[in-house]
Amino acid sequence: MEILFETFHVDIRLLIAQAVNFTIVFLVLYFLVFKPLSKVMKDRSTKIEKSLDNAQEIEKKLANTEKEYKKRIIEAEKQANLILTKAINQAEKTKQATVVKAKEEIGQIINQEKDKIRTEKAQTLKEIKQEVVNLVMITVEKVLEKKLDNKEDKELIKKIIKETK
Amino acid sequence: MATITQTEIHHEHALYAEPIFYIKEFPITNSLLNSWLVIFIIVIFGLFFKSRIKTIPRGLQNGIEIIVESLLSLFDSITGSKEKTLKIFPIVFSFFVFILLNNWLGLLPGVGSITHVVLEHGEKVFVPLFRGGTADLNTTLALAGIGVVISHIFGIIFIGFWQHLNKFINFKALIEIPKKVFKEPSILIINPIKFFLGLLEIISEAAKLASLSFRLFGNIFAGEVLLASMSTILAFGLPIPFMFLEIVVGLVQAMVFSMLILTYLTIMTSVEEH
Repeated sequence: MEILFETFHVDIRLLIAQAVNFTIVFLVLYFLVFKPLSKVMKDRSTKIEKSLDNAQEIEKKLANTEKEYKKRIIEAEKQANLILTKAINQAEKTKQATVVKAKEEIGQIINQEKDKIRTEKAQTLKEIKQEVVNLVMITVEKVLEKKLDNKEDKELIKKIIKETK
Repeated sequence: MATITQTEIHHEHALYAEPIFYIKEFPITNSLLNSWLVIFIIVIFGLFFKSRIKTIPRGLQNGIEIIVESLLSLFDSITGSKEKTLKIFPIVFSFFVFILLNNWLGLLPGVGSITHVVLEHGEKVFVPLFRGGTADLNTTLALAGIGVVISHIFGIIFIGFWQHLNKFINFKALIEIPKKVFKEPSILIINPIKFFLGLLEIISEAAKLASLSFRLFGNIFAGEVLLASMSTILAFGLPIPFMFLEIVVGLVQAMVFSMLILTYLTIMTSVEEH
């Protein structure tokens, strides 16, 4: 063993020196390279994981919103259709009602007019009749005033006609 | 071993790292200088990297992250648990970086060829100012020692002192004998064998130390010798393919060392199966 150490000049002081050297290398690599590097790598992987999760969540939310949106639109369409049909129905109803009313009114007006015309006609006839009676009466009076002979009668008639002319 | 004899100044490719100067009896060897260079590079890189680190990676950080990520998944397949990997990874990765840089810095032109003259035993001798850090048994032995010690520390942390101790000195097996001997008498034979196997594990720990340190040292030192001998044959062109070979060897040895440390750590941190 001693010969071995002698040949290779194994020296406990040098051994310790090299051990110290290696320790320095280890510490330098550990604190300057490995520790910060692993920290950075870990941070990054957690960040990536987080953002991936977030992305998934956002996608989910987006899909939900789209679904909601479609649902809403369909509902709105349905409602719009309902309102439209209602409006059309109502319009039809009012139209019919108006037409009926108009017809009724027109009928009424016509009837009224007819009545008016009828009463007016009756009145007129009455008046005419009255006039005719008066006329006849006057004529009769005139005739009765002068009871004359035929000759005179003829003259009288001519005179009356002349007067009435 | 290549020996270049010049008029009066010798240069031997020594099996050991030579001291360049002394600070109060403490020898500062050429490979120690190289290791300090490695530390300097790593510190500069670390500071630079720390200042540039961002949540959104760019350029260098991207590259490092890719390497770290793929290594982490490789480690996961060996350790079998993410939590364990995160605890073990920094230490194994440090082994890898430190050894790799030491191996490769030993290949730089200038390392081994920039020399200064030292008087030794009355002779003038060329001593290279730099020498690959891992081409010195002191470095590799220190690294192997740290690896083995840390694997025991991790073992105690992860599975507890009692469990860990029983891997080597199997008290459990001995205690079990009087409890179960009437149910299954075969335990009388099996459990002493288990106890003996535990003792063998202690020897294997020493073997780990030797195999780790000598494998790394041998490969890197042999590479340097190979390059030196090739340059003595023909300094122009001939060493280039061997240079590439050594680059690969440096990478492979760094990987082998750290992977072995990783397996030791994994074995030590897992509970013994019955």
